[in-house]
Amino acid sequence: MSERLRIFRWRAIGPLLVLFVIGAVLWWLFADTIARHESQKVGTQMLGARVEIEHLHLDIANGKVLVRGLTIASPHEAFKNLLQADELVADLDVVPLTEKKLIINRVAANGLRFGTPRQTDGRVATSGDGIAGRVLAETREWASQFQIPVLQLASGKISVDSLDPRRLSTIPAAEALSARADSSRRAWQTAFDTLRLGPTLDSASATLERLRHARATDLAALNEARQAIDRLKRAQGRVTALDRGVKTGVADLQAGLAGLDSARRRDYAFARSLLKLPSLDAPQIGAALFGPGAIKPFERVLYYAQLARRYMPPGLLPRATTGPRRVRRAGEDVRFPKERALPAFLLRSAELSFLPQRYAGHLTGLTSDPALYGRPTVFGATGPQLAAGAMLNHVRAIPVDTAGATLGGITLPAFEVPGVPLRLDPGAATTQLAFALSGDTIRARFAIRSTNVRWTRDSGFAKSTIGNLIWQAVSGISNLDVESRLSGPLHHPDLAVRSNLDQAIASRLRAVLGEQVAAAEKEQRDRVDALINDKVGPVRARVNDVQTQAQAQVAQQRARLDELQKQLEQRLRELTRIRLP
Amino acid sequence: MFTLIKLIQSLFGALHSEGTPGQLAAGIVLGAFLGLTPLFNLHNAVVFALLVLLNVSFAGGLLGWALFVPVGFLLDPLFDWIGHSLLLAPSLRGLWTSMYNMPIVPLTNFNNTVVLGSLVFALLAAVPLFLLLRWAVARYRVTVGERVRQSRFYKALTASKVYNVYKLFRP
Repeated sequence: MSERLRIFRWRAIGPLLVLFVIGAVLWWLFADTIARHESQKVGTQMLGARVEIEHLHLDIANGKVLVRGLTIASPHEAFKNLLQADELVADLDVVPLTEKKLIINRVAANGLRFGTPRQTDGRVATSGDGIAGRVLAETREWASQFQIPVLQLASGKISVDSLDPRRLSTIPAAEALSARADSSRRAWQTAFDTLRLGPTLDSASATLERLRHARATDLAALNEARQAIDRLKRAQGRVTALDRGVKTGVADLQAGLAGLDSARRRDYAFARSLLKLPSLDAPQIGAALFGPGAIKPFERVLYYAQLARRYMPPGLLPRATTGPRRVRRAGEDVRFPKERALPAFLLRSAELSFLPQRYAGHLTGLTSDPALYGRPTVFGATGPQLAAGAMLNHVRAIPVDTAGATLGGITLPAFEVPGVPLRLDPGAATTQLAFALSGDTIRARFAIRSTNVRWTRDSGFAKSTIGNLIWQAVSGISNLDVESRLSGPLHHPDLAVRSNLDQAIASRLRAVLGEQVAAAEKEQRDRVDALINDKVGPVRARVNDVQTQAQAQVAQQRARLDELQKQLEQRLRELTRIRLP
Repeated sequence: MFTLIKLIQSLFGALHSEGTPGQLAAGIVLGAFLGLTPLFNLHNAVVFALLVLLNVSFAGGLLGWALFVPVGFLLDPLFDWIGHSLLLAPSLRGLWTSMYNMPIVPLTNFNNTVVLGSLVFALLAAVPLFLLLRWAVARYRVTVGERVRQSRFYKALTASKVYNVYKLFRP
């Protein structure tokens, strides 16, 4: 009898326990390092910028985590940090860790600094991968939609770019209308032929002739006349139906002609856009001078707002995010929030202490599942000449994100004014930012105010007449007041930038360049007309010809039908009139 | 090179071990779990413990692991698709939500599409793979097994030190 097969290998319990003990010892030795690396990896992946931690200590037994030397690079600037912190101490709830949920009751952050320089490029989301990469790409694309007018003042010349006929919209519109006119003409002719009015008219004429020689007692002739009148009426009905179709078609062709006029206006605008004109409108000048710089703050705030919306979505539906990076495919992690359960991540409260130490802030309710937490995330910071606050309300279906900050007494760096070889040093200025994103509607405002700006000019600029005029206009201005506003649907908001320099520059420019600009615009309009008139003229004539022909044909046949019907009815009345002796 | 030699040694060592074809097949199937699913997950700790504690071929487990790692890489898109379909299926939402909010279970990373997809695939493939391997090992042993055992190549292979290590864990 064979030996019974054993299921368990009992002697392996010893080695397995040894392995378990080795694992525990390794965890005890390397837990801090592993947690530090994982925190850096996850943080970098989430923010799209390198997160570096000098030291991390886990004290799971007491539910404490200590982080020293935290550096988060800026996702937007290569050699700048978003923030640095000397020390963070976090109090954790340990039990939720068994559910893979991170609940932080309190964080105390000390020595926070913003915008510090760094040695290496800390951006990692430039490839467009992951959530941060996608959001960064989206916000960049969003920012690129704003057409910032270019101011060309240095030379004062108005250059005319070549006008490519293939880029004009009137010519293809005219060709399409011509084809439609031909098609309508053929369709109407076919419809007219299918009416078969000839036999009806011939038959009615013959009946009328017979009726003229008939007597009142010739019942057959009378019946035949009545039938002919019926046939004429039916033919009239068919002609009326055709007439309606012709009228609709004619209206369509007329709309096409109106469309040609609209296309011509668009082509004028396009041709005008090819002119390298110095703008003479004050709002345009404001946008040209400060537009590029004004969009950046909006772009950055929007990046963080959109990132927050991805990581803190409203509602309780399952949601998928990119899984952890590994050698194998990352896949997607799907989260399943549940009512009355803890969120996957919650930071209940954070006390923030900035450098210099007179600044302080607080943050409450930062969570991955706002619907579970039930309260919005609130941030606030105060200090000398600083007031900042933000609220991310993702508790309900339509998220509302608001932020506002006023920061005074900061020395802004000098910058080249776009399109003008002028350098503006704003000096100590006050900046204000207000931002509200409600659902997909954005309202934002960014303002810079300074009372002691300084201007310097490029040496080459001195030779230009326009340059001199601009220099005279702005060099005496010591106040700077720039305000940009953004409003409307998020995908296509309106940007308005104004400054106290706009009017001064605009009036100077208008005095010098007004006539030249008008002449250049007229020249471009003439060039457009020369290119499209050869195409549009014949099409207009063709459309008019087709509609005149169709309407005349219908009117002519209707008149013949009417005339015959009238004659038949009159003769019939004469024959059937009762004559008393 | 060493890994390759070790793999060949494992293969022949397992095929010619005293274990039954069933033990060898069961070992390879457990190893397949390690190879098909992302390695550092809680369920693989259980699989490893089973491989050690159950009286199956440990060498077969190592062999299965080595053989199925590239298969796992190749089938990752399929696993992702399976996991995605299962995790986002409305009929299963209640199950996943309960599991996601239980202690310990979320630590298995079951809510990752690749982890769940590969685990489900491995579970479904386990029984057919076991039956196929058991039949194949039995056929090998009654056909060419004895001739291989007598070959110089096999003798050289089994004479190396690595083989001695393997013998510690043979079934």
